[in-house]
Amino acid sequence: MAAPGIQEESEVVTARAERRWATVAIAVVVALAAVAGYAGIYHGALPQARVETADPTTLHLAGEFAEGNLGSALEPDGSVTVRAVGQEYSFTPQCMVVPTDALVTFRATSADVVHGFLIEGTNINTMLVPGYISQLSARFTTAGEHLMPCQEFCGAGHQGMWAKVKVVDRATFMDMSAKARRLSCVE
Amino acid sequence: MSEESVFSRKDPWFTASVGLTAAIAVVAAIVGFVWLPYAQPGLRPSSLWDAICGAAGVPRARSNAAPVSADFVTSKTIVTSGMFDHPSASSIGHGATLALQCAACHGADGAGKADAPGLAGQYTGALYKELKDFKDGARSSSVMAPLAAVLSDSDMRDLAAYYAYLPRMNEAEVGTKRAAPHIVRYGSPLHNIPACGSCHDGLMAGAPWLKGQPSVYLEAQLAAFANGGRHNDIDEQMRNVARRMTAAEIDEAAHYYGTQK
Amino acid sequence: MLSSKRLILAHFWLAFAVFGLAILLGAWQMWVRSPFSGWISDPEWYYRSVTEHGTVMGYVFPTLVAMGFGYAISEAALKRPLIGAGWAWIGFGLVLVGAVMATVPVALGRASVLYTFYPPLIGSAYYYLGVVLVVVGSWIWVALMSINLWAWKRDHPGEPVPLAMFANVAGSLLWGWTAVGAALELILQILPVALGLRSTIDAGLARVFFSWTLHAIVYFWLMPSYIAFYTIFPRAIGGKLFSDTMARISFVLFLVVAMPIGVHHLFADPEVGSGFKFLHSVFTAAVSVPTLLTVFTICASAEIAGRLRGGRGVFGWIAALPWQNPLMLAVAFSFVMLGFGGAGGLINMSYQLNSSIHNTQWVTGHFHLIFAGAIVIMYFVIAYDLWPHLTGRAFADFGLMRVQLWLWFVGMIVVTFPWHYVGILGMPRRMAYYDYADPQLASEGLPVALSALGGLVLVASAALFLFILASNQRGSRTAPDEYRFSVAVHPPTSVPVALNGFALWLALMVGLTIINYGPPIVQLWAFDGVAVPAVYVGVER
Repeated sequence: MAAPGIQEESEVVTARAERRWATVAIAVVVALAAVAGYAGIYHGALPQARVETADPTTLHLAGEFAEGNLGSALEPDGSVTVRAVGQEYSFTPQCMVVPTDALVTFRATSADVVHGFLIEGTNINTMLVPGYISQLSARFTTAGEHLMPCQEFCGAGHQGMWAKVKVVDRATFMDMSAKARRLSCVE
Repeated sequence: MSEESVFSRKDPWFTASVGLTAAIAVVAAIVGFVWLPYAQPGLRPSSLWDAICGAAGVPRARSNAAPVSADFVTSKTIVTSGMFDHPSASSIGHGATLALQCAACHGADGAGKADAPGLAGQYTGALYKELKDFKDGARSSSVMAPLAAVLSDSDMRDLAAYYAYLPRMNEAEVGTKRAAPHIVRYGSPLHNIPACGSCHDGLMAGAPWLKGQPSVYLEAQLAAFANGGRHNDIDEQMRNVARRMTAAEIDEAAHYYGTQK
Repeated sequence: MLSSKRLILAHFWLAFAVFGLAILLGAWQMWVRSPFSGWISDPEWYYRSVTEHGTVMGYVFPTLVAMGFGYAISEAALKRPLIGAGWAWIGFGLVLVGAVMATVPVALGRASVLYTFYPPLIGSAYYYLGVVLVVVGSWIWVALMSINLWAWKRDHPGEPVPLAMFANVAGSLLWGWTAVGAALELILQILPVALGLRSTIDAGLARVFFSWTLHAIVYFWLMPSYIAFYTIFPRAIGGKLFSDTMARISFVLFLVVAMPIGVHHLFADPEVGSGFKFLHSVFTAAVSVPTLLTVFTICASAEIAGRLRGGRGVFGWIAALPWQNPLMLAVAFSFVMLGFGGAGGLINMSYQLNSSIHNTQWVTGHFHLIFAGAIVIMYFVIAYDLWPHLTGRAFADFGLMRVQLWLWFVGMIVVTFPWHYVGILGMPRRMAYYDYADPQLASEGLPVALSALGGLVLVASAALFLFILASNQRGSRTAPDEYRFSVAVHPPTSVPVALNGFALWLALMVGLTIINYGPPIVQLWAFDGVAVPAVYVGVER
């Protein structure tokens, strides 16, 4: 055994090294959490605030997610609400059209099982759980097309569940809105 | 045991760990349930309690003002798996009686003819749904509409139970056992077309069994879904598929599943 | 001297046998959805395989490893035969029966619901019952670990609990509590529907219950590896454990914080409020602390060994380490994979960064890197280290072991790094085939092909591992010394009560569970009207 003096000294050194590392570790973790929080608030990237429910078996009868109400709707305040339903094995509308430079709020639910809602090339990514309504907001800056696959296993046809999102410039979208109350880019 | 209890304020481990845990929880709760809801753009909590409850995820059913309706009648039928399990014998028997009037077009054995699909061995849910959609006007047919109009809900269930109970057509009658064409076997994923069987092999309530139907009929239905002429598929499920199929693919699928009748 | 050798060997052999079968499925899956293969004609086969692979690799294989290793630790650390060996055999039997009961329906295509269950998709009741039996069998092990420790403490009042047993029991208690979530989901929600007693189910509540289990189960998987880091590795390389106290702190931190953070698996879900998502993400940040502490302590312990072997300079001690020793190699590989996998985890832990990669192939890449990579590579060397004590036969040389470990490490990097990349490109998970010919997906083809090739390397490594274990049967007989664990630089003569028992930490764990999970569960349970119809899989109607 080492002499008592060396023993104590080594214990002090050990404890100091550990404390320093623990401080570094905790600082790193706190910093990451703070950055996440800041990014969330500054970029408005926060999870949906409320839990809303819906009955998947009666969605198609009437109400917010009946067929005629699906698609992109221009709101009085200039924002756009896109309503969609996911089911085995497609999203309706199959092609969603959204404008640039506007707040776009997606509201969607599932008519049967759990589906996923992912717009590739963006961080618009959520789950559609039957019984609950998912809501996500985003702003698009560039026109173009995005693939929109279902990213969760939903049954034997899951690999065929790919939709599309078309981003058009704001003026084009306004023209389209003048002609129809609910828009989509379905051919 | 001579150990002191760890649950005492004299134990520094107890005070430190409980204190730290509680502090983290409290700070996180204040940020998550109070600060963030108010900081979230577009969300306007009506009160502090509303902000906290909302962030806590208290579930609510929201009603939406003034939804836009479709220009046409859409299906009002609800079909879920398990809805039609275990029909009673009397239901089937009553259905048999009602079916006497269907034989003129659909064949005495329910096998179908060129302009009327086969009903024998069809899924109960699919049969019920089409009858109800005819009655509600979600699916248009000048022939079927008046016939369905006089059926009550239990009549429709009985008819569906009866035809489902009949044996399906023999594979031999369907034509040779051909290999399924690409569109049927694999679908076309990026065109949002899954393999037909992923719904039509009895895996989705309301999706009909396709094998043995007249090819002409199948082709006509796919074309009707594609141009929107037929629109009783719930939430456009079939319209989404048919729209993206090419004419050649529709032809291949109809001839794979169908008979030359 | 280990007395329950056959019990421990039974657990390990069953674990590695099912591992070998499941890894073949995994490699097949990678191949079948890669550009190498034509599209599978019946995608149902793919989803069947995914369910089987996940069920075995997630519920059966690591549970058996933890149980077997746990029994070995109990005997070796407490230096007494296992109390309740009869019960232990019953537990083993339950796991075996449960595994068969679960995997057969899946193989027959009756339960392609994936190992995460995903209601309202519902499969055969036997699948779920099988999983329940596996969990019940493991709970017998949990009870036995605590019973054995309690008996030892009664006979050694006031003495510090040996670190290996302390960590082992912490892990068992964590598992005991963690499994409750999935058990509640299965028993209260899924089984009634699968058995036909009910026809609707609240999918959101089921997901919340499952998330209770889903995160902490990976810490249950991780425990044997971390125990090996602290209590086997320093001894094996001729060094000492840098700090016994820090080790205990790390394990109790896991016990408290690993479980009540599961909602970070539900960031993208609509049934949980944003406040709880934030609360869970804060505590998720906290759970990275014990791993960071572990990395420090183990590296410091390695440095001690390196310097004892004559290494000099700031980094010179690294070269002086016993790289011929498979344990040294494994720990180094494990730390590299832990570094990358842990970094990926830090990305997953915040809602904001998670949104880019949620449910893309990034996630699959991540958990294969960290579990199949960093953790399982340690399972291999735990087996190598214990084996002579269990079989009484020596291994001839370590060369093959080193090859096997290199193959696993290289294979895992080749499999998982491109996998992360395609996830960033947005490739969705769990599809049986992808249209790589389409220009929109073309860039994903090459990385997926690379991953598939890596999968073959892993199969080779697994086969070699089984071969090495089997060839031990022909090794020369040996009478190994008593199984020893590592010794701390400052061996504890007395340990604070808080670090010698679990009452405080269990109370905190349960308390946090009530705060973090209580309201979401109660809210969803009490709210009427979100039960949705079940969708039955695998049964033609």
